[in-house]
Amino acid sequence: MELFTGLSFSVLCIQILVGLSKATILFIVASGLTLILGVLRIPNLAHGSLYMIGAFTTYSIATAFSQSSLGFWVALLLAPLAVALIGLIMEQGLFRFLYKRDHLMMLLFTFSFSLVFADLVKMIWGSDYRSLAVPEIFQGSYLLLGMPFPRYNLFLLLLGPLFAAGLWYLTNRTLLGKISRAAAVDREMVGAVGVNVNLVYAAVFVIGCYLAGIGGALVAPTQNITQGMDHSIIIEIFLIVIIGGLGNVWGALLGAVIFGLTDAIGILVAPQFGIVFPYLAVITVLIFRPKGLLKSIW
Amino acid sequence: MKKSLKFFCLAALVGCSLLTVSSAFAAKTIKVGIVDTYSGPASTYTNDVRDAFALAAEKINAAGGILGRQLEFFTRDSKFKVGLGLSAAKELVMRENVDILMGTINSSLALAISDFAKQEKIPFLATFAKSAKITGENGHRYVFSMNENTAMIGKAAAEGLAKRPYTSYWIAGDDYEYGHAVADGVWENLKKLKPGVKLLGQSWWKVGEPDFTPYITAILAQKPDAVIVATGGRDCVPFLKAAQATGFNKQVPFYMHTATEISTLKPLGLNAPEGVIGTANYHSYYPDTAENRAFVAEFEKAYGRTPAVGALYGYITAQFISRAYTKAGAIDTEKFINALEGLSVDSPVGKVTMRAEDHQVMLPMFMGVTTKAAGQSVLIAKDIVTIPAEETMPSLDEIRKARQH
Repeated sequence: MELFTGLSFSVLCIQILVGLSKATILFIVASGLTLILGVLRIPNLAHGSLYMIGAFTTYSIATAFSQSSLGFWVALLLAPLAVALIGLIMEQGLFRFLYKRDHLMMLLFTFSFSLVFADLVKMIWGSDYRSLAVPEIFQGSYLLLGMPFPRYNLFLLLLGPLFAAGLWYLTNRTLLGKISRAAAVDREMVGAVGVNVNLVYAAVFVIGCYLAGIGGALVAPTQNITQGMDHSIIIEIFLIVIIGGLGNVWGALLGAVIFGLTDAIGILVAPQFGIVFPYLAVITVLIFRPKGLLKSIW
Repeated sequence: MKKSLKFFCLAALVGCSLLTVSSAFAAKTIKVGIVDTYSGPASTYTNDVRDAFALAAEKINAAGGILGRQLEFFTRDSKFKVGLGLSAAKELVMRENVDILMGTINSSLALAISDFAKQEKIPFLATFAKSAKITGENGHRYVFSMNENTAMIGKAAAEGLAKRPYTSYWIAGDDYEYGHAVADGVWENLKKLKPGVKLLGQSWWKVGEPDFTPYITAILAQKPDAVIVATGGRDCVPFLKAAQATGFNKQVPFYMHTATEISTLKPLGLNAPEGVIGTANYHSYYPDTAENRAFVAEFEKAYGRTPAVGALYGYITAQFISRAYTKAGAIDTEKFINALEGLSVDSPVGKVTMRAEDHQVMLPMFMGVTTKAAGQSVLIAKDIVTIPAEETMPSLDEIRKARQH
């Protein structure tokens, strides 16, 4: 079945799946950014740096197990926790004294953090790039509809809905989620009814950083782990959060799916200009919905 | 206070005069200034150039040096930045009074240093930069290229691909000068050698593209007979990784310069794809000659790692310097250049000649296919075909035309 020359239905399906698996990582990282943005009102520019640290830490832990696949799974467990710990130190050591400051101040502050982290990574891991093998179970590809589909991408595809469900449960079914949603709307009121807002803030910040770390850990086997990962992802996830609606987790999901799909379909339709399609999609959304697709909390 | 100041001045004076005296009495050396990227991803390649050069220099010095003088060298890190590299080259000439400049992996910087070398009349031996402009369009008396360039890669690849039964091609690569130069080079030459070839389309991605999977699945959908992949440097590794994950080369064969080279294959270990067609100037295991074996053994003993292609560039550069001065019979720049033109030296890949007309070194190119080898943790090339330099060099007419502009 040909849709038009060289573009059959099965090819389109595979390309959509590839796009969605890319969207999974974008969603995981962007949801962390949007949580922190929504509840704490911090536009955390160092979020990409935490993702990069997650990837480098994953590499170090995984290779400590001399490239056996077990190493990757241990790293997937430990590396995001290490990143969450860095988040805890950041929040407790600095950010909690700054919640009253205005956004521009916060933006500059987190930006300076991203520079510090970039240099830290350079000091610890040097400036060489690293490459981590895909865990053995997910090496190679499946044939779907006669087209190859990498097994690891399928693993990412399955993780996406799990994370979405987990985040839904966290925000809608747990006390922490309910309080943080209330705090996002009216923080003085939450404080007035006797909730320890500072504790909630710390918890949300740490969860957000954990999500950045796990995104970094998941992306590690698919690409070069390198300086500059932080810049490329921070631009993408900020755009995703903006088109989705600031502070809205479902917006982050929607934005990531749009970003991943336009990227993959764009490459299929016009391979020479594949780079521009996601950005065109962002512009289109912002022309028609300046505040993003879903409800922005700002 | 005053007394101590006086004393300090006196001490400084004595110190300075001692220094000038000692340097006046120090034996004169031949100084080579190397500017290259020693930090960041590119250092994977450049360290081998420097280390092999150092090894060769050590041997030359142990055998009595060149015309009775010792060969010494200075390195400067350009951090892959043109401005920084150019000022380092100037500093080496003005302050260290180097006789020869050498480096760099960054083509833009190589062209900038080449201009400076022309003004200063200092020989510049370019190592690793692959722009054909260095000895083509922007070539001049004082610049030499010590390795293959994009024009030669294009010719070599076309030569090898024309012998294979593919007619419909797809081109994909890094969207910058190297990528386009390689792709154009291969394609123009392939059309000449095999007029029936068809280009189905092209994909171009940004340099440093993190994930190639969507590009590969889109290319596979077009069902070309073969794909020409024009990626350079660190992008080769994630590309091969994505090729392995998608089973790219099991469905459609693809060609990539340096795909068979150890610098590219080593980071992937046994997770590199088999059956990828690649070209490279050097393999530690091929040709299996006494010279190559001795060179590899020496390099491994000194540095504890297998020499990559950069080691060949560094080694022949030291050989050419030593031979040219010896042939010239004097430490004199103009005589050195005259001697270097048309000079041949022995190397791990056999006799290598510096072409007199355009100062481009004539290195053979090896085309092979990646494969796993018993007991090895890194893939190697098999079915190696040697494409002699005579077949890959741009013709003298082409050089003349390029330099007229």
